[in-house]
Amino acid sequence: MSIQEYNGGSVVAMVGKDCVAIACDLRLGNQATGIAMNFEKVFPVNDTLYYGLPGLATDVYTLREQLRFRVNMYRMKEEREITPETFTHLLSSTLYEKRFGPYFLEPVIAGIAPPTAANPNPQPYVSTLDSIGCITTPKDFAVAGTATDKLYGAAEGLWEPDLEPEDLFETISQTLLNAVDRDALSGWGAIVHVITKDKVITRTLRSRMD
Amino acid sequence: MSAPGGGGAYSFSLTTFSPSGKLVQIEHALAAVAGGTTSLGIKATNGIVLATEKKDTSALLDTTMIEKVATICPNIGFVYSGMGPDFRVLVAKARKIAQAYWKVYGEYPPTKVLVQEVAAVMQKATQSGGVRPYGISLLIAGWDAHRGQSLYQVDPSGSYWAWKASAIGKNMVNGKTFLEKRYNDDLSLEDAIHTALLTLKEGFEGQMTAETIEIGIVTVPTAEQQIAKSGERPPPTFRKLTEQEVRDYLSL
Amino acid sequence: MECSFGITGKDYVLLASDMSAGRSILQFKSDENKIKELGPHLAMAYGGEPGDTNNFADYIERNMRLYHIRHHHALLPHAASSWIRRSLADSIRSRRPYSVNLLLAGFDTTDDTPHLYWIDYLGTKAVVPYAAHGMGMHVSLSTMDKYWHPNQDRRDGVDVLKKAIAEAQHRLSIKFTFNAIIIDKDGIHTVDLAAEDPIGKIEAEKAAKAEAEAAAAAAAAAPPAAAPEASAPVAAAA
Repeated sequence: MSIQEYNGGSVVAMVGKDCVAIACDLRLGNQATGIAMNFEKVFPVNDTLYYGLPGLATDVYTLREQLRFRVNMYRMKEEREITPETFTHLLSSTLYEKRFGPYFLEPVIAGIAPPTAANPNPQPYVSTLDSIGCITTPKDFAVAGTATDKLYGAAEGLWEPDLEPEDLFETISQTLLNAVDRDALSGWGAIVHVITKDKVITRTLRSRMD
Repeated sequence: MSAPGGGGAYSFSLTTFSPSGKLVQIEHALAAVAGGTTSLGIKATNGIVLATEKKDTSALLDTTMIEKVATICPNIGFVYSGMGPDFRVLVAKARKIAQAYWKVYGEYPPTKVLVQEVAAVMQKATQSGGVRPYGISLLIAGWDAHRGQSLYQVDPSGSYWAWKASAIGKNMVNGKTFLEKRYNDDLSLEDAIHTALLTLKEGFEGQMTAETIEIGIVTVPTAEQQIAKSGERPPPTFRKLTEQEVRDYLSL
Repeated sequence: MECSFGITGKDYVLLASDMSAGRSILQFKSDENKIKELGPHLAMAYGGEPGDTNNFADYIERNMRLYHIRHHHALLPHAASSWIRRSLADSIRSRRPYSVNLLLAGFDTTDDTPHLYWIDYLGTKAVVPYAAHGMGMHVSLSTMDKYWHPNQDRRDGVDVLKKAIAEAQHRLSIKFTFNAIIIDKDGIHTVDLAAEDPIGKIEAEKAAKAEAEAAAAAAAAAPPAAAPEASAPVAAAA
């Protein structure tokens, strides 16, 4: 069994019409033993940008603290909020710093950049990285964690282009719940964030607790 | 008992304040800047112009090898007044800072961020042991998505200011007075380039030709140019004018 | 082979640990205290590689004490849990990591809430209502799943703990003795698991202590009749 699967857990993100969604399960395990059912793996960077860190739980905390430090420094130095694209690069270089002793995580990023004079109509953005920071930017959805294979199947079947926020919520929720129910190391509740230009809708989902 | 030299005992150790609260070496560095050739920058509605005088001390000198306006990264350029060797050191450091930023964030630094980093480098030379301050003032022009085009000046002390238009070096005072008269808020880049040439002409020693001046410009990218294309670099927003382009502007 | 439990309730948190020390099938000791007090309202039950355990526990204890001395107040449970987690997370990626698992229990006196953290040698941290480490994780978690309820009072909490311990003693081939503590707004108290009514015993001790303190306070407030006599020799010496 790989160290990435030691604690279990999964994350999925999807692109919609002028919105993105990102969701995770809430289980924290010790191999097959369940320890906690309140372990969130998706965190906000700012009002329109979230990221998920499925993988080894100790690294979830460590990398999250590291990123919080770097984003806060960025915010103060640059006097602006970081965009999803720039955050992806920051996360990538942070992961690559540990190329020969990596964090055992597969981050997923979802957000919409705030509109600016230079970019008045920013597009919804989803990206994933591997544990050493290689970036992939899919046009539809990104999955990661112990239920990756099941998530791919469910997302491939349920996702369609240009979903409105409420439909995107339904799609990502069904994708996540059906995938984690088929994965012994994920589940025990879930949380979904739907990010639009002017607000974030966060909902906690009940799921099978076995 | 005072050490030799006009500044007394306080002119040698940089880390020592004079009783009046001055760091005399910094004032000496400013004197070096004031003795340097004139440089100027003007911010326009759709760009920025940096211009400087390139003095050739001998007719035998190959002026094409002298570079006084330097590109730091595709969106930022420098011009200086003061000591040429110090400028080259600072340009090398600034280019390295810009590339380090690119490595982390996948984009080049906003002008203000690079200005602050370079100002920090210059400030360090006023507080560290065994070094002297940089004998130059910089004019830094750049464009970024956050603040658009912006023009800064950095001094040997590490202080920096944002300008609409400024001049540094030998003719700084006259140049600034001239710019104050000529500047207005809806200047176009073309107008700004001409104003720059006129300002430079004030107090220019000898013939002003494409070989004896250097010009760099910042242009604002179009909305279409700003859309990132996969596998393609965005077009640069800072570039130096070629000798032919300078010649054309001079002949107008 | 070790076993520890933590249980939160309405206004308290319980911590219990086995007291055995040994190697493989041999038991060298059956009265080793593996619960360490880290502050007036903070304690941890720890286990893992012998040697690492005591060394790490001492390191944490001294740092918690140092913080208390420097800042004139103890670290709150959530802050302590972050610091301890970070110590273990740094350790796991060092040349020689500590192999220590622990349950951190504390009572936040600023908002009167109990806190329990499950932390392992990797630096994994879980915020939990009840938890177990060691063999207890395998045999007694389901017992706690069944009998634990939110906002239980102290006696119910001790009952759940006793059931969890009984399960461990029943299912495991090793004989375990357990010690336990309870942390509430008044601080840390030893729980006598052998007593008929451990909570009643603690209440009685608290009452006796309060009475003694009241008496002492009354004596201090009364006119100091003995004071002139006590200072007399000093006056004579002067």
